[in-house]
Amino acid sequence: MLRNFYRKIGYDDPLELSLSRLESLLLSDYTLSKRSISLLLLQEDTEILGLVKEREKERFSEITTIIEETKAHYSQPLLLIISQRRQEEASRIARSAISLKEKHRRSIKGYLSKIMMNPLTGGPILLAVLYYGLYKFVGTFGAGVLVDFLEEKVFGNFINPFMINIITRYIHFELLQDLLVGEYGIITLGVRYAVAIILPIVATFFFAFAIVEDTGYLPRLAMLVDRMFKRIGLSGRAVIPLVLGFGCDTMATMVTRTLPTKRERIIATLLLALAIPCSAQMGVILGLLGDKPIGLIVWLGVIIAVFMFIGYLAAKIMPGEMPTFYMEIPPLRLPKLSNILRKTWFRLRWYFLEILPIFLIASFIIWLGQITGVFNFLVKLLGFPVRWIGLPNEAAVAFLFGFFRRDYGAAGLYDLKKAGLLSGNQLVIACVTLTLFLPCIAQLMINVKERGIRMGIAMSIFILFFSFGTGYILNILLTLFSLHL
Amino acid sequence: MRKIAIFGSPNVGKSVMFSNLTGSYAIVSNYPGTTVEVSRGKARIGDEEFEVIDTPGAYSLLPVTEEERVARSILINERPSIVLHMLDAKNLERMLPLTLQLLEAGMPVILILNITDEAEDAGINIDANRLERDLSIPVLATVSTTGKGLDILKGRIEEYVKKLL
Repeated sequence: MLRNFYRKIGYDDPLELSLSRLESLLLSDYTLSKRSISLLLLQEDTEILGLVKEREKERFSEITTIIEETKAHYSQPLLLIISQRRQEEASRIARSAISLKEKHRRSIKGYLSKIMMNPLTGGPILLAVLYYGLYKFVGTFGAGVLVDFLEEKVFGNFINPFMINIITRYIHFELLQDLLVGEYGIITLGVRYAVAIILPIVATFFFAFAIVEDTGYLPRLAMLVDRMFKRIGLSGRAVIPLVLGFGCDTMATMVTRTLPTKRERIIATLLLALAIPCSAQMGVILGLLGDKPIGLIVWLGVIIAVFMFIGYLAAKIMPGEMPTFYMEIPPLRLPKLSNILRKTWFRLRWYFLEILPIFLIASFIIWLGQITGVFNFLVKLLGFPVRWIGLPNEAAVAFLFGFFRRDYGAAGLYDLKKAGLLSGNQLVIACVTLTLFLPCIAQLMINVKERGIRMGIAMSIFILFFSFGTGYILNILLTLFSLHL
Repeated sequence: MRKIAIFGSPNVGKSVMFSNLTGSYAIVSNYPGTTVEVSRGKARIGDEEFEVIDTPGAYSLLPVTEEERVARSILINERPSIVLHMLDAKNLERMLPLTLQLLEAGMPVILILNITDEAEDAGINIDANRLERDLSIPVLATVSTTGKGLDILKGRIEEYVKKLL
């Protein structure tokens, strides 16, 4: 160890006396200096107390006596006394090294920063960011242009035929052929889904997200929504996973790891699974309701209402204290392309390694469901609640597929719409129910992985009932007021 | 292999500094028994290879959050040869107590004043030599996002390690 010759901070006499008494009782090596350990003991750091108790067995009672005596000597908590003394010293040193000059620029940044956090002006700015960043760039360009190119051109015309050709030539066992390159094969569905659909959406999303992050907009957004989020048991910090959910809920659920308390992680996971449509889904829903602005508004209104209501309820039911939230607000910066590319690349790699196995397992499960006839049984089963919320029988297939691929589910509705099987009302009800309906299989797996099997399953059951319940109520309301959307 | 721990409160540019030092190869894993992720990578400085550990953000050595607990555990269990304490030059006065805590704990600290570009924009000038004298540890100014000061840092680390021998 290198000795540093910095003159120690001197505390006042009684404290120094206790420190030297404590130091003489510490015989073991704690890596941190004995003085530091003694200070932590006086501030009653539970972890250090436990460590010292374990190592200084017979001396520990004397140590606790010294701590109690020292505490009794002061009217204020020792923690406060020690940190005040330390801050004095730090301020003295800092002030002797800092010299202030006139500011360089009258800051336009400061003004921008203010309007981003002000509820009146912050809302429209957020909407603009969401519209251009999310809807235009991720939805239209990523989920539209890029996905079409990769799925139709690259996989449809090249990779899939090529793989099917190879597999059928060398493997003559039909079940195995199906598993690898069938309609739901590991290669034809699993790999294609991950590479051709998820990858471009998530890549464009990460890119947009990195720009937003690099400018310093996120902490300001967190401040903007903090008060509203407090009502639903979350803090501003949860903005990050929830915004990510619009890109891909599965990835966002992984990111809930950054939330400080278990309670927040559970509420955020539930809200992601229930009320935040991922970009794949949003793209198709916008396509379905694009020609019915009123229907779109009803859909949006219901989803927002559900989000707030369930969040509020979860916050009421789940024990735990209000999350505290304090965030440094870094200054706004111009984003740097190299930073953005690097961040996008790192996240993409991390995400892909986590997600690919999940898609492979999912296509295996689908294949299993097909050959065992479980699928047909599930479609029959789903037929009941589907009819119950006033939809035609054929919608059940869309719902089941929606579980394996949310956008497939919505695409199935698209076909029904084209075939003229759905009225405007039915379309809105179907969109609402499908948005709320079970997360896709990848998200379900991640929920189980992150929150444990019991919590994951319980959430899924709740969501199943809640989504159809909402569809049912919406159906009744629309009929009651004889509205035709 | 000697270890370098990057220490400091959240949002001072620790992870950018980490990737500047290690290039792009990092292993991210949960710290044993916690859900806190810690990145580790290797850095070649001079003719020696170091393991660099990016610790979770911590405001104090007296932990409140799980992240802070992990950051301190890394210091205790990994016994780094060098602790790079990074702080935001704009908030020197508020972040210096942590430097003092690290010194109290006898840690081999190099103090990094990061984000000096923004501090200068705000009209804040810091005399690093003066701090170096007052604290008797190496102190240097960097801008981790542009890599400014990185070479000087590597040089200081080399000197520091030579002193250890």
